[in-house]
Amino acid sequence: MNFDLMDLFAETFGIAEEKLLPGATLESLGLDSLAVIEFLFQIEDKFGIQIPDQANPPRTLDEMVQLIEPLLPKGKPDNAVAAA
Amino acid sequence: MRRVAITGLGVVSPVGVGVNAFFEALITARSGIRALQVDFPTGPEQVLMGHIDFHPEGHFSKAELLTKDRVSQFALVAAREAMAQAGLGSELTGLQPERFGVSVGTGSGGSTSLEAAYYALLEQKVARLRPMTVVLAMHNAMAAHLSMAFGLKGPSSTVSNACASSATAIGDAFRQIRHGYADAMLVGGSDALLTKGTIKAWQAMQTLAKPHADGPQASCRPFSKDRSGLVLSEGSAMLVLEDWDTARRRGATILAELAGYASTTDAYHLTQPEAQGQASAMFLALKDAALNTRDIGYLNAHGTATDVGDVVETHAIKRVFENHAERLPISSTKALHGHAMGAAGAIEFAASVMSLRSGQLAPTAFLQLPDERCDLDYIPLQARHVKNLRAVMSNSFAFGGSNAVLIAKQV
Repeated sequence: MNFDLMDLFAETFGIAEEKLLPGATLESLGLDSLAVIEFLFQIEDKFGIQIPDQANPPRTLDEMVQLIEPLLPKGKPDNAVAAA
Repeated sequence: MRRVAITGLGVVSPVGVGVNAFFEALITARSGIRALQVDFPTGPEQVLMGHIDFHPEGHFSKAELLTKDRVSQFALVAAREAMAQAGLGSELTGLQPERFGVSVGTGSGGSTSLEAAYYALLEQKVARLRPMTVVLAMHNAMAAHLSMAFGLKGPSSTVSNACASSATAIGDAFRQIRHGYADAMLVGGSDALLTKGTIKAWQAMQTLAKPHADGPQASCRPFSKDRSGLVLSEGSAMLVLEDWDTARRRGATILAELAGYASTTDAYHLTQPEAQGQASAMFLALKDAALNTRDIGYLNAHGTATDVGDVVETHAIKRVFENHAERLPISSTKALHGHAMGAAGAIEFAASVMSLRSGQLAPTAFLQLPDERCDLDYIPLQARHVKNLRAVMSNSFAFGGSNAVLIAKQV
């Protein structure tokens, strides 16, 4: 898990970090598809990256991280978010 | 026809959040109007307004706030209070979800979100807008949030009739229950329109009050010789309406009976009111409630504090109430909470129901110098206590010529 990404996620939605388990479904965290898009837009703006449209949007936290992480600026994987 | 009971009230207003705090402020003539600095693109300006010091994070999680414009936040907080008073918290005990609907009014819907989107697009030149923009700004978002919050699956509608929006929404819901299309309805209105665009548009109409020498809080002066216009405000009031027998069967406390409603249209002018249209609405509401003019013991006037509006309403009241008009206690509570536009009708009807229950009539604040053309008993300055209040009337008149009148009766 990318902990910086999780911090940003927790901050955006006001969700306690202990609830952010990799397998947790976004629905169980009270987030619908529009909320997920809202978060992906934030990530795109923050890092200047382009997340391709998804035919099947992420359903779990893990799936979302797997979608975002490879696109984040390379070099400092764990600190990428904090440094940006 | 079925009788309709009022079993819950909730208010979010510039004079208080919660119906008791709201009514206490009205009775003690505590104004919620202030001069606030607004940072217009042309420079900062002091603007008179009834702004609510509202902290959404105390009512909603961050995730919940992503989907809710300020207008829906107000409505949900008011609705939680109304539903709790009706004994309908997390479960609709004794009521079927499919027979429980929503009917609300708003003048401007999610205007805060819409203005933020335009600002981002046109001023900040963003390439795309928030994905929530449409669902934040749409007028029926409030009704959707209310239905989801309480699981209400009956008919739902959103009325946008300017300043008569919520009174019309309440009246329409009253008929839904009366004629058997629903057993209960969550009704009322909300508006949150204190945005730059709205304020500038109202300033351009030349209808806003100027700051009064006694202080900004005393600037909305209905029926007063020195009135100078209306003061924009915001807020929400929600009520629970129920079929009388259903309410009795489930043991709900009935606060009052919603006994009559009528709406008419002037077909006359976009902004100028017309006494005949207003009088017709009052007359038809009395007929609908099967009451005589003498049965009405208090009238909450539309009374916006515009020069023309207050005089025309005075004429209309005289036309309907004839000899009784001089003895009828009337007040405009807008002097204290300002003009909440689409929410005004619901807020003032809530005040009227509170008067019916307590016998306390809120005054027309700041009415030190009555306009001789507004020569009725407008309850100047101080609240009045009356006994044996049988029924109350609430007037809502709108730009566009829509008139809506509601009557509540003692249980």
